[in-house]
Amino acid sequence: MIRRQYEKLELIAFMGALCLFFSTIEYLFPKPFPFFRLGLANLPVLVTIKLFPPGYVLLLVLLKVLGHGLINGTLASYVFLFSSAGSFSSAAVMLAAWYLCRDRISLVGVSVFGALASNMVQIMLSVTFIFGRSAWIIAPPFMTLGAASGVAVGLFAARFCEQSRWLAVIRDYYAAP
Amino acid sequence: MRRHRSRPANRLKRHLNASHLFITGAVVLPAYLMQPGLVVRVAQVLLFAALAHLAGKRIMWPYFVLMVASITFFNLLTPIGRVVLSLGPLQITTGALRSGLMKGFTIVGLVFVSLFSVRPDLRLPGKLGGLVARVFFYFERIIEGRKRIEARRLIDSIDDVLLELYTPGQQQSQAVFERVQTTTVGYALMVTLISVNWLLLFV
Repeated sequence: MIRRQYEKLELIAFMGALCLFFSTIEYLFPKPFPFFRLGLANLPVLVTIKLFPPGYVLLLVLLKVLGHGLINGTLASYVFLFSSAGSFSSAAVMLAAWYLCRDRISLVGVSVFGALASNMVQIMLSVTFIFGRSAWIIAPPFMTLGAASGVAVGLFAARFCEQSRWLAVIRDYYAAP
Repeated sequence: MRRHRSRPANRLKRHLNASHLFITGAVVLPAYLMQPGLVVRVAQVLLFAALAHLAGKRIMWPYFVLMVASITFFNLLTPIGRVVLSLGPLQITTGALRSGLMKGFTIVGLVFVSLFSVRPDLRLPGKLGGLVARVFFYFERIIEGRKRIEARRLIDSIDDVLLELYTPGQQQSQAVFERVQTTTVGYALMVTLISVNWLLLFV
């Protein structure tokens, strides 16, 4: 039992490394706005939602934001606050969507909910702490792009869950008694 | 697809260990935040940018210029004080301009402080610190395998790398961290940075 838990934590650390890896390859894709992020780092989180209980998913999100803050050196700045708030709100909404509508929602739906939650929280923070109330005008295009990136990431995650041999090995191992 | 520019060398790492560098940033931060003068604050931001560069961080100047400009612009929409210029419907007032610039530079400076004072070998305490170390251990391995990932067979090639790096139930090797000792130059830099920033409060 303890060994199993240790192995799960090891896998969560590996998933955390995958989040960092996906965020480093984001630069390969052109950005329509300088502050916009595609959210590829969310892929391992989406996959983990299907595999492990919520506690492990939230731990993965914590590792993702800490790792990102340490690698990019943003741990002591507003970027970390925005990233943490966006990631945790997104994870909470994705978990809620997954557990409340498990048979009626696909990973694309879960991903879109997560992207919208993350963008909404980040707009609220930027209105409160940085730009002021006038910044609400950026909300509609920002949310639209967020939804589009949520669809793209969700489609990829769904395809990965279907086709990945590695994920099949992981699923079989943890499904075994 | 764009080419990724390589980062400059980390010249601070030769002289300061990660904890000492982090402490320096943490002690400088309150002095920076309490600084009332706009000109001094801009000078501090430039100093932190230079330190971030020495720490091997690539600074995306257009991003930060756009950041200060957009924060200032949104502040100008709420006029405060004397009108210095009218651009159509937009009235530029002294109070809003100063407050916008101050806010913009403060935020950008905070990012630069973080960029120079935080680096991946900073060990966080406890079990969480151990897990973060494992994340970095795997991250380095994944980065090594990155060149084998092909866009044409994306999922298949990602799978090849993942299957090689992580199989459940197998004993994984331990992360090894290089320990850096703070040199005399490093201690001198720490004391100078802290003193200069705190003394600037009384200028």
